[in-house]
Amino acid sequence: MKDLDRLRTLIKEPVELVLNQQIKMEMVSSSKYLAMAGWCDRNGYDHSAGFFYKQSEEERKHAMKLFHYLCDQGATAYSPDVPPVGQEFDTLRSVFESALDQEIAVTDSINRIIGVCRREGDYATEELMKWYVKEQVEEEYIARRCLELIDQIPADQVYYLDKKLASVTYDENPFEDE
Amino acid sequence: MESNVPVSYQEVFRTDKGVVYQCDRTNRLILSFWGSTTPLSARDFAQFRRMVSTVNVHQMALSTDTADDVEILTIPRSERCYVLTLCEVIHLRELLNGASLMLELNSMLRECGCATLSTPS
Repeated sequence: MKDLDRLRTLIKEPVELVLNQQIKMEMVSSSKYLAMAGWCDRNGYDHSAGFFYKQSEEERKHAMKLFHYLCDQGATAYSPDVPPVGQEFDTLRSVFESALDQEIAVTDSINRIIGVCRREGDYATEELMKWYVKEQVEEEYIARRCLELIDQIPADQVYYLDKKLASVTYDENPFEDE
Repeated sequence: MESNVPVSYQEVFRTDKGVVYQCDRTNRLILSFWGSTTPLSARDFAQFRRMVSTVNVHQMALSTDTADDVEILTIPRSERCYVLTLCEVIHLRELLNGASLMLELNSMLRECGCATLSTPS
């Protein structure tokens, strides 16, 4: 008897399910970052707002990368329902704390997906997910570094802090050969 | 349907209420349930199974609202729909889950290089 599911796609149902959940998570992240950008914008933190607008776009791209992968491989990608997200924050610090929490949740989710890929013997998807692992190392570093800067820069230098936060990057890629 | 099943149809799973066949000639799964027979692609079959498995049977069982007495399920890419009571939803779920398990078993046999489930001679 033919294996019709395998003829249709290389992605097994459990992997398809977790990838669709990840698409939703990335879209929710995008929405949360947009809310953070909006808060920063209306509270005068223009540079941080720019940083979060960019993050919001990036999260959407992450979701779309998975969406296209599922479609290209013959699986089904679902456009997710994005629930309402919080629009208000107490301080600039709480915005960045929320950002770090979100990145940690995404990292945990990526790790779980790799576990599912290994259980199902889906090495192609695991290879794709390695890109996300590297991406998360960078994202977590940036969020942590921003929180460090908030602690280090005196509270009266708000403009300098805002500018500095938006310029944080992760250049030391540990996954590349020197 | 039972008396004149085409030779290309192989039985995947059967319950008292219905049967799922696979036709290797057309690459379709054939759902025979509640007196009707519907050919489905593997994708549509998976989607329909998901649809059936997400029916809120607890709501159907506990609600006194007449709207919750039946569930209307539209088969993907088909003009047919099922209007099912709680018991029928459970029967359909049992049939689709059983068929899905057998298809998964067939995949596992193929993956490990064993002969797959029966092929007509």
